[in-house]
Amino acid sequence: MQDTLRFYGHSFSSRILLGTARYESPMLLVEAINAAVPAMVTVALRRQIEGGLQAGQSFWEVLRATNRVLLPNTAGCYTVKEAVNTAFLARELFETDFLKLEVIGDDQNLQPDPFGLVEAATELVKQGFRVLPYCTDDLVLCRRLLDAGCEVLMPWAAPIGTGQGPRNPKALRELRDRLPDVPLIVDAGLGLPSHACQVMEWGFDGVLVNTAVSRAIDPVLMATAFANVTKAGRLGYLAGPIPVQDLAVASTPEIGKPFCGEASPFAAKGTA
Amino acid sequence: MSLTVNGQEAQMPDPPTLETLLAILHLRQPYAVARNEEVVRRSEIQQCNLMEGDRIEIVYPSAGG
Repeated sequence: MQDTLRFYGHSFSSRILLGTARYESPMLLVEAINAAVPAMVTVALRRQIEGGLQAGQSFWEVLRATNRVLLPNTAGCYTVKEAVNTAFLARELFETDFLKLEVIGDDQNLQPDPFGLVEAATELVKQGFRVLPYCTDDLVLCRRLLDAGCEVLMPWAAPIGTGQGPRNPKALRELRDRLPDVPLIVDAGLGLPSHACQVMEWGFDGVLVNTAVSRAIDPVLMATAFANVTKAGRLGYLAGPIPVQDLAVASTPEIGKPFCGEASPFAAKGTA
Repeated sequence: MSLTVNGQEAQMPDPPTLETLLAILHLRQPYAVARNEEVVRRSEIQQCNLMEGDRIEIVYPSAGG
């Protein structure tokens, strides 16, 4: 069965996107990437990579060798100007038009700034970027981002790095129902494989995970778990789950049931 | 001539071009450069003359989520 994730003219066989931050070592990152086989891996740009020149070079060399599609982000940007300038630097550095657009509106929960996000997305789409905006589950915001020209949206499940899982399931599910033809990737706040499976069962098109994998005791095993449940959740969605009912419905047929219409011989003899 | 490079003040020797500055810094690849918050494309670096007070940003690939 051909079931691919498609946006901006690209087709991906994997429905998991993996962040590259907070791994203990570049080699562990590579092993996690190999285990998850993600559609894209997110990257950032900084003046100097944490750990100095050597660590930075090692990170880049091993990441490049994985041959994954890169998705640069604008993490840490609080204004439209910062985000747009960072986007242009990212395009020059990574030689890609793909961009995970982040415009943060609150430094406590790292919640996206919806106003700045729409403004930045509008500008960047005009400049030829393929924008994947990190947004909230607000339907109207999502519509504005689509109006701006985004072909895919990345609503949060919960604040970045919290591992809470879907904090507002009703809003997420409503978003899925109201935008049935838009690729929606749940980004941020997933902590457990079951969270990923849950949103995939709801019909989301993919998940983006970072901290849940990189800070697990065994990141490679967790990457494998997330990859497996993302597939399982997708299959469950495609298979068409049954509706939930209040009353029991016998699964074993009644027809042909033995002793039907007769008193139980055991009961007649007084047997328990 | 003084500049700001990645937030730090720096003195720029002659000739005051971006190419000279990058050569002095012995940067590892890949990197990207912005001058006064505007990206300088690789193809434009050779022709980019610097001015007193320019703000230069040099960035590298980094881990990100």
